[in-house]
Amino acid sequence: MKNLLIIICLVLASTSFGRPISYVGGHTLMANSSSQADNIYWHYTPDIKYSLGVDYQKDKISDELFASARFTYLLNRKNTATSQRNLYLKTGVGLKKDSHFYGLSGDWETRRLFIGFSAKQQSGQGYDLFEQRVKLGIAPYLGDYGDLHTWLMVETKKNDLDDQRITYPVLRLFKGGALIEVGYHRKTNWNVHLMYRF
Amino acid sequence: MKNILLLGLLFTSVFSQAAHHEMGHMHSHEGHMHEQMVEGKSLAVDPQRFDNFVANLENSKIAVISVQGMVCDFCARGIEKTFGKDTSVSKIDVDLASGKVLLAYPASAEINRADIAQKILNNGLNTTDIQVLQQ
Repeated sequence: MKNLLIIICLVLASTSFGRPISYVGGHTLMANSSSQADNIYWHYTPDIKYSLGVDYQKDKISDELFASARFTYLLNRKNTATSQRNLYLKTGVGLKKDSHFYGLSGDWETRRLFIGFSAKQQSGQGYDLFEQRVKLGIAPYLGDYGDLHTWLMVETKKNDLDDQRITYPVLRLFKGGALIEVGYHRKTNWNVHLMYRF
Repeated sequence: MKNILLLGLLFTSVFSQAAHHEMGHMHSHEGHMHEQMVEGKSLAVDPQRFDNFVANLENSKIAVISVQGMVCDFCARGIEKTFGKDTSVSKIDVDLASGKVLLAYPASAEINRADIAQKILNNGLNTTDIQVLQQ
């Protein structure tokens, strides 16, 4: 049971579609809260190709704390005048238990549209879990730098644990270096994601 | 003779109007740096934004950087942070809509284009052009 909780925490920790690599020398602080766990994740970008981070989780059922180290590598990036496309390799390893994850995530974004995906394999003692996600978003208006940006999004996800795809709306609000995402599904209830880049 | 006089008045009037229009035209664009040709190319900047940027600048050089991949506030914030650490940069403006970054330097500053391009690259973005204007 404990290993399963660790895996669930790793899944929750690695699901953000926010930019997992910042500018060189940049720090990013993220916090997630869902019905299953809360977590805080910090990462630092020493090179534009990768970021290093530490994640702390608190499982709401067992009330236990889990820590993991994270490494994200930028496999490919394509910039155009109006868009950016990224492909990342994400990895993480639990600092206490024999647990780890690895996966691919990618996004294509303009000022108006967002498409993101992720596919991850989590493993622990006696557990393996594969999870896939897709997220689509549209900005109903275009703001300038420093304005409040709003994204209307839909996320769909499926994993081996419940073998059921769930799809739910997400509202993303974005201003300067701060981002908040709120999603809701009747099964998983509210999911809140905060991000601050500095 | 009367017709010649009328014709003369007409020409005088037309040329006078043309000259006045020309002077007015020059006057209305006086000081608008965005209309300058830089290295044989015109500046593709938001005119009002550019004019606001240079409004209170004196004896400055302005670098107009065309950037690819700048799609969100995180990109803009990273650029602002990166160039904000450069003590020779006196003012920064990031225009997401046009993909332009404006940097103001003192007139005596040496602008290193390779350094600017590297700083943009350190934000995960690409520089396609850098134009430098002397104010």
